[in-house]
Amino acid sequence: MERLKSALSYILIIVIILALSVVLILSVGSDVQESFVSFFRGIFGSLYGFSEVLVRATPLVMAGLGVSIGFKTGFINIGAEGQIYLGAIAVTTIAFLLPGLPSVFAILLGITAGFIAGGVWALIPGYLKARFGISEVINTIMFNYIAINILGILVRSVLKDPEYPLPMSPQLPDGYIFPMLMYPTRLHLGFLIAVIAMVLVYVLMWKSAPGYKLRVVGLNQRASLCSGIPVRKYIVLSSLLSGGLAGIAGVGEIAGIHNKLLEGFSPGFGYVAIIVALLGKNNPFGVMAAGLGIAALQVGSLSMQRQAGVPASISWIIMGSIVLLILSRRSLFTFSAESRKEKKV
Amino acid sequence: MIETGLIATLTAFLSATLRMAMPLTLAGLGETFSEKSGILNIGLEAIMLSGAFFSFIIAFMTQSVLLGVCAGIAGGIAVSSIHAYLSIHCKVNQTIAGLALNFFIMGLTSFLFLIVFGKTTTLPECPVSPKIPIPVLSHIPLIGPVLFNQDLFVYFTFVAIFFAWFFINRTEWGINLHAVGEKPKAADSAGLNVFRIRYLSTIANGFFGGLAGSYLTLGLLGFFMENITSGKGYIALVVVILGRRNPPGILLAALVVGAAEALQFRMQTSGIPVPSQLFTMFPYVITVVVLFLAVGKSREPSALGIPYIRSKR
Amino acid sequence: MSTDSTLLMEDIDKYFFGKAANDKVSLEVKRGEIHALLGENGAGKTTLMNILYGIYQRDAGTITWKGEDVHFESPREAIDNRIGMVHQHFMLVPTLTVSQNITLGLKSEGHPFPNRRSIDEKICEILRTYGVNISPTDKVSSLSVGGEQWVEIIKLLYRNAELLILDEPTAVLTPQETERFFDVLKKLRQEGHSVIIITHRIPEVLAITDRVTILRDGRNVATIKTADTDSVELSHYMIGRELKTISRTPHVVSPQDEGLGLDELAVEENGRAVLGPLSLSIRKGEMIGIAGVDGNGQKHLAEVVLGVRDCSAGKVRLLGKDVSSASIQQRKDLGLGYIAEDRQNDALIMDMDMRENVLLRMYSKREYVRSGFIKYASIHEATKEMIDTYNIKTAGPGKPVRYLSGGNQQKLILARELSGSPPVIVAFHPTRGLDIGATEFVRQKLLERRASGSSILLISADLDEIFSLSDRIAVLFHGRLMAVLENDGNVDVNYLGRLMAGESAGSSSERRVE
Repeated sequence: MERLKSALSYILIIVIILALSVVLILSVGSDVQESFVSFFRGIFGSLYGFSEVLVRATPLVMAGLGVSIGFKTGFINIGAEGQIYLGAIAVTTIAFLLPGLPSVFAILLGITAGFIAGGVWALIPGYLKARFGISEVINTIMFNYIAINILGILVRSVLKDPEYPLPMSPQLPDGYIFPMLMYPTRLHLGFLIAVIAMVLVYVLMWKSAPGYKLRVVGLNQRASLCSGIPVRKYIVLSSLLSGGLAGIAGVGEIAGIHNKLLEGFSPGFGYVAIIVALLGKNNPFGVMAAGLGIAALQVGSLSMQRQAGVPASISWIIMGSIVLLILSRRSLFTFSAESRKEKKV
Repeated sequence: MIETGLIATLTAFLSATLRMAMPLTLAGLGETFSEKSGILNIGLEAIMLSGAFFSFIIAFMTQSVLLGVCAGIAGGIAVSSIHAYLSIHCKVNQTIAGLALNFFIMGLTSFLFLIVFGKTTTLPECPVSPKIPIPVLSHIPLIGPVLFNQDLFVYFTFVAIFFAWFFINRTEWGINLHAVGEKPKAADSAGLNVFRIRYLSTIANGFFGGLAGSYLTLGLLGFFMENITSGKGYIALVVVILGRRNPPGILLAALVVGAAEALQFRMQTSGIPVPSQLFTMFPYVITVVVLFLAVGKSREPSALGIPYIRSKR
Repeated sequence: MSTDSTLLMEDIDKYFFGKAANDKVSLEVKRGEIHALLGENGAGKTTLMNILYGIYQRDAGTITWKGEDVHFESPREAIDNRIGMVHQHFMLVPTLTVSQNITLGLKSEGHPFPNRRSIDEKICEILRTYGVNISPTDKVSSLSVGGEQWVEIIKLLYRNAELLILDEPTAVLTPQETERFFDVLKKLRQEGHSVIIITHRIPEVLAITDRVTILRDGRNVATIKTADTDSVELSHYMIGRELKTISRTPHVVSPQDEGLGLDELAVEENGRAVLGPLSLSIRKGEMIGIAGVDGNGQKHLAEVVLGVRDCSAGKVRLLGKDVSSASIQQRKDLGLGYIAEDRQNDALIMDMDMRENVLLRMYSKREYVRSGFIKYASIHEATKEMIDTYNIKTAGPGKPVRYLSGGNQQKLILARELSGSPPVIVAFHPTRGLDIGATEFVRQKLLERRASGSSILLISADLDEIFSLSDRIAVLFHGRLMAVLENDGNVDVNYLGRLMAGESAGSSSERRVE
C-alpha cells in the first residue's frame, strides 16, 4: 500500500512536470508536439545527440559526486561552481608552467592539480565551518563569485593569449588534452574518469572506515564526538574531497572540451551539480543516473530552443520544480491519518 | 576648489554607499523577521530576484513606479510563501528548499523575460523612483544631499528600520516572535500559534525582500537582466548575521558592504589599468572577511532551521 | 460517576503509527483533590494529559470539564478554560525573563504594549504568597532547575488555572525542595485547585495524593483512594508484580587498585569555573554514585572523563595512566565504557542500522576493520551476538535503531559499551526514561560489571538508584564535591538532601541517624 502510494506520487510529479512544460511551451507560442519531438530527437535522434548527453553529464556527475560527499558529511557545498573554475585555472596554469610533459604524466598532473585547487577552494570554507562554525553555505557561494572574477582577471593578464584580442588563454599543450573516446563526437576521457570516480566514491563511503566516519559525522556530530571521531578533521576532509572532485570536473571541461581557458566555460555546472546530488540522494550510482537525466533534459531543451523556439532556461524551471516537488512529495501526496491531524492544527 | 571637489566626491560616495546599502538593509530586515521566528531562508536571493523582475515588468507596462513596487512585493511574498509552505507545512530542509527556489526563480524570471521581450540587444528600460529632496534639510552640507536628497525607497527604509526595531524590542509581539524562534514547544504550550507566527514572519520576509528587489530595478538601475541580484540575497544573509538580527545593526552592516560596492563602481570608472574583475569581486571578498570577523558575536535563535513538529513523540 | 467531579475523561483512545498509546482510558478528578496518575514509563500517562491539554488530538472518547463537553484543539483553549500543565521538560524560553515567560501568549492589558511594571508587581505578589524567592526580571537561563519549576507553576497560577497538571514534578528536586513543594500543593488544594500529578514514584503518591489512577500499557488498571492502599498493592497494579529489589552485595576492594582517578580536576567554561577542583579515586570493583540536582556539573564531569571536554587543571587517571590530554579514542582503547545521558543524541545514530551503531565503538579494532575496509560480516555476527545475549527485541541487525524502543536502544548501547569488558565505566543517567523491566536489566548489568572488577562512575538523579547500587556516594553541588559518604546503609536521605542543596557537611552530628 505504502509502496503503491509512493509510486503513485512519483507518477503524479511526472504528470505535473509535463503539464508545467506544456504550459510553458504554449506561453511562448510554440507547438507542443513539435517541441516534445524536438526534445526527444535532440537526445535520441542521433549518435551525436546522445553523445552530447554524456558530454554534458561528465562535469555534472563529477561535481555532483563531490557535492554528494559534502552533503553526506553535513558540509553543504554550494561552491562547486567556483571549485570547477579553480580546477580549470589549475590545469591551465600547470600546463603552461610544464608544457613538455609526456601525455600520461601531463594528464595525471593536470587532474591532480585540479583536485588540489578545487579541494583547497572548498577546504577554506570547510575549515572556517569546522573551526569557527561559519556558515559554509554563504562562504562557498561567495567563493563562487570570487573564483569567477579571478578567472576573469587571469585570462586578461598572465594567462591571456597575446595573439587574440579576446580574453582567453592560448591552446593547452597537446600532452594535457584529454583523448577522445568516440570520434567524431566530443565524448572525452572525462566521462571515463567520472565512471571511475563513481565506483571509488561508493567504495570510500560505503565500504571503508573513513567513509563510515564521514557518514556518521553527517548524521550526528555530537554522537561522533562522543565516540571519538575528530569531527572537525572529518568536515575538513569532506570539504577537500568535495571540492577536489568538482575541481576535476573543471579540468575535464578545459582539457576535454575547450582546450583553453575562457570565461563562461561553465553554464552553471556547479549549481546543477547540487540538483544532481539531491536527486541522486547522495548515492554515487544515483548521482550518475541523475546526472545523465539532467544532462538529457538540458540537451533536449537546447534542441527544443533551436527547433521549436522554446527558451532553454525552461530546463532551470523544470529542475527547480522537480526538486521542490520531490521535497514536498510526502506532505503533498500522502493522505495518512497523521498528516491530516497536522493540517487541523 | 580642491576642497569642494573633495566634498563633492565624498558626497557622491556616501550617497552611493547609502543607496547600495538599501536593498541589503530591506532584505536583511525581512530575513530578520523570518530567522527570529526560526525559518532560515537561503532563498532570499529568489525573493529579491522575483521582486526585481515583477516590479520591473509591471512598471514597464504601466509606467507606474508605485504599481511596480506593489508587484515586486507580491512577487517577493509569493516566493517566501512557497518556502514557508515547504518549511512549515512539509517540514523539509530549509536550506535545500531555499536553494531549489533560487534555481527555480532564476529560470522562471529569465524565461518570462524572454517571453515578454524576446532576444533584444538593447535592455528595455522602466521608470525609476525620482529623488525627492526634503526642503531645508537637504541643504545641510554633506549630510543634506546624502541623507535628505534620496528617493522614497530610502526614506521608507529608515522608517522601516525604526518600526522593525520597535516591533522586535518593545512589543509583546516581538517577545512572541522571539519565543517561537527560541523554543517553539514552549511558545505552543503557552498558547501561541507557532505556525501562524512563522507564516506571518515569512510573509514579512517576502514583503521586505520583494521591496528590496524592486529597489534594484526601480531605484538603482531602471532595467532588468538575467540574474540581476548576482548574490545580493546571500550577502543580505551575511548582513543579518553581522547585524545580530537587530535592525540598526543590520543598517550598519549593510553600510559596510554598501561602501565596498560604491567603492567598486568608483574604482571601475577611475581608469586604473587593471581588469575590472578585481573590483567586481571586492564586495564578495569583503563579505567573507566580515563574516569571519562576526564570529561568535551573534547568537542564532535556538530553533533556527528546525521544523516544528507538534505531535512528535 | 460522582457528581462532584470537575474533570471526567472517558474511553480515550490515542494511536501513534497504529499502536495504541491510550486504549479506552478513563480518568475522573474531583474539585480540590490531588490526584496521582501512576504508571511506569510508556504507560500512556503523559499522552493522556497531552490530549487533555490540547497538544494531541484524541482518536476517540469524551472529555467533560466542569460539566461541559470539551475538545481542546490547542493548549491555548485549555489555558482559556483554566487548565494548566507543567511538562517534564520545561516549556520555558531561557533567553526571556521570568516575567516575560509567565505572560507569554497572554494578551495583557495594553497589548501589545503591556505595562511590565504592573505585571511584575502582580507576579511578585504570587511569589510572596507561596514564599518563592525569584525576581520577575531574572533571565530564566540564570535559574536553577528547581527555580524553573517554580516559574512554570507561577505561570499557571498567574493564568488562574483551576486544574494543574504536573508531569514528574519532583524528579528535579532535592528531598527538602520536595517537602516544600508538597506544602505548596496542599495550600493549592485548600484554595480549591485540583492537581494531577503524573508520576512513576510510589512513595510520592502515598505522601501527597488523595486518590490515584493507575495506567499500564495504555489501559486503566484501577482508581483507588490513596488512604486505602499501600506500596505493595500499587506496584502490583503498576507493573503486575512486586518491585524487584536490586542491591549490591558488599565486597572488599583494595584501596591500591585504582581504576579511575580524578586528581584536583577542574573545568572552566567561558572563564568561569564549572567543575572542581575535585579529587576522587574509584577502585577496581567499586561503584561510586554521584548524587546531585541536575545541572550541578554532572555533565561536565562525565564529559571531562570521556574526553569530549578539556580540563583546565588537574588530571584524569585511567588505570594509573594520566589521560588528561589523551584523545577519546585512546581512552576507549585503554578501556573506558561510556553510557551517555542522552541516548539519541550522544550515543546512537538513529538513522543507521544496529550494525553500524555497534561499529561506532569498533571502527578502530582489527577484528572489524582491515586496512581501512570494514568487515561487515564480522560486525554483523557481533551485533547478532549482542542481540541474543542482551535479549534485544528487534527485527534484525539490519534495522535502523530508530525503530527500537527506548529500553532496547539502551540495551544496545550497554551491549556495545560493555563489550570487551572495559575496566572503567561511566554510566550517566543509565536508566532515565526506561520502563521498570529495562531499568532492572541495566542495573543488573552494571552490578555484574562491578562484580567482575570494573570501576564504575554512576551519575544519576534517581536517589534510589544511587542508594541501591553504589559503594560510596559523592554529592555534587555547583561543580564541587560536598562530601563522599560510605554507603553502609546509614546515610540519611535528609542529610544527603541538604548536601545536594549546598549546605556544607560541617555538622557531623547529623551525619548518621541514630
